[in-house]
Amino acid sequence: MNSADRPSDQSPSLDPVRAYLLQLELALETCDPALRHDALIDAEEHLRASVAAGTSPAQAIAEYGSPEEIAAAYRSIPTSGGSLRSSISTLAPSADSRSEPTAGAVHGRASVSSAASAAAVHPDSGAASSRWQRMRRIPLVGVWFHPIAWRSLVYFGIIGFPLALAYFVWVVTVGTIALGMLPILIGLPLLVFLLGSARALSLFEGKVVELFLGVRMPRRTQPVVGVGEGATQVGFWSRILCWLRDIRSWLSLGYLVGNFPVSLAAFTVTLTFSLVGLVFVALPILDLFGLPIGVAEMDDSTRIQFLFTEVKPDADGKLWLPPGAAVPSFLIGFGVLTATLWLARGMGWVYAHVVQAIQVARPRPAAPGR
Amino acid sequence: MPAPLDDKLERDLSVGTAWLVVLATIARAEEAIHGYEIARQLAAEAPEGLSFKQGTLYPMLRTMESEGLLRSELVPSSEGPARKCFTLTADGRRVLVAWHDTWRRTNKWVNRVLGGVDELR
Repeated sequence: MNSADRPSDQSPSLDPVRAYLLQLELALETCDPALRHDALIDAEEHLRASVAAGTSPAQAIAEYGSPEEIAAAYRSIPTSGGSLRSSISTLAPSADSRSEPTAGAVHGRASVSSAASAAAVHPDSGAASSRWQRMRRIPLVGVWFHPIAWRSLVYFGIIGFPLALAYFVWVVTVGTIALGMLPILIGLPLLVFLLGSARALSLFEGKVVELFLGVRMPRRTQPVVGVGEGATQVGFWSRILCWLRDIRSWLSLGYLVGNFPVSLAAFTVTLTFSLVGLVFVALPILDLFGLPIGVAEMDDSTRIQFLFTEVKPDADGKLWLPPGAAVPSFLIGFGVLTATLWLARGMGWVYAHVVQAIQVARPRPAAPGR
Repeated sequence: MPAPLDDKLERDLSVGTAWLVVLATIARAEEAIHGYEIARQLAAEAPEGLSFKQGTLYPMLRTMESEGLLRSELVPSSEGPARKCFTLTADGRRVLVAWHDTWRRTNKWVNRVLGGVDELR
C-alpha cells in the first residue's frame, strides 16, 4: 500500500515492527496484562512472518490494522470461556431475522472487530447465574457463593503445597547435581536443562493457578527473540542463549524455589483455619443427633472447658456439649470458615497476580533483538 | 446521499461474514493451519477494497477456541518457533455446516429480491 519500497526498514535501529509493537502496547495499557502479553506476541509473530514472506514492514503493519483497532478487538474478548455460546446464533444471519441480519453491528466500526465486540456484550444471562451473582453481593457472607473463593481454598489447602514441594525437590535436586558436576562440564548442560524445565513447570503452574485462582494467564509464550525475522533456522544454541537471556527463565526458577515456603505457610494456615471452623460447626451437629462430642478418661485434677463452660464426663466417660453452647459453637465455626474463605480468596488474588507477573515478563519490544 | 452510508453494507457484511469465512478457511485446509496462513489466504481472496484487518483475526481465533469451535496445537516449524495451528472441532464443523446453509438461503433470497431492481443501474 504505502511506502512499500523501503528495504532499509529492516535495520534494527528503526525497526518499524518494534515501533508498532510499542504503540500497540500503549493502546492496550488498560487491558489485562495476560491479554496484552498475548496480543503483543500475536502481532509480533504475524508481522515477522509477513516480513519474512517478502511484504514490506510498512505494508504488513497497514494490513494488520491500527493499534487502536487491534486493541479494541482484544478488549472485546469475553473474560471467561463459554459466555458467547448464546450469542453465536445472533452473529449468524438466521432465517428468522433476515430482514435485519446485522442489526447489532450497525454502529460498529469498519472492521471485523465489531463482530467480536457485538458478541461480547451479552454476558452470561441464565436466571440461576444471576441469582448467584446477587448472593455474592451479601456483605461478608457473600463469599460462600463465590466459586473462586472455594477453588482458592482447594488450591491452598490441598493441591498447592504438594505441587510446590515437587517443584522444590526437582529444582534443588537437579540444581545441586548440576552445580556439583560443574567442574567436569556435565553440569553446564544440566543447568541449562534445569532452566528449560523451570520455564515449562512455571507455565504448567500458571495453568493450575488460572484454573483455581481465576486470574487469566497468557496463552502464548514469547517466541524465541529475533527468530523469524529472516526466516532463518533456529539453532539449538540460539534457543539456549535466548532462554538464558529471557528474564522469565530466571523469574520462573526463583518462583519454583521461593514458592515452597510461601505455599507451606498458606497450606498450614488454610488447613488449620478450616479444620478449626469445621470442628466448631460439627460439635453442635453431633449434639443434635444425640452423639457425644468426645470420650475422656481423666483423673480428678483434669479439667476440660468448652467456651468457658466446664465439661464433665458422664458415667461412661463420654463428653457432652454443654447446654447453651450449641448456637455459639456453630456461629464461631461459621465465622471462622467465612474468614477462611475470605483469606483464601485474598491470598489467591495476590498469589495469582505474582504468578501472572512472572508469566508476562518479556523483554520490552524496544530492546535490541539480537 | 450522505457518503458514510456508501460503505455501510460492506462494513455490515464483513462483520457478519467474518466468523463464517474464518471457519471455512480452517475447514478447507488439509492439515492444521496457523493464524498467519489463514490471514494470508483471506487477504489474497478478499474482494478489491474490502478492508480485512488481519490483526483482528487473532482475538477471533481465541474466542472461537474458547467456544469449542477450534482446537489448537503447537506445531514445530523449521523456520522459527513452534506455531499455534488450528483445526475445527466436531462442534465447529456442525456450526460451519449450519452457517453455510444459512448463507446459501440468505444469498438466494437477496439475489431474488435484487433481481427486481436491475433496471435501476
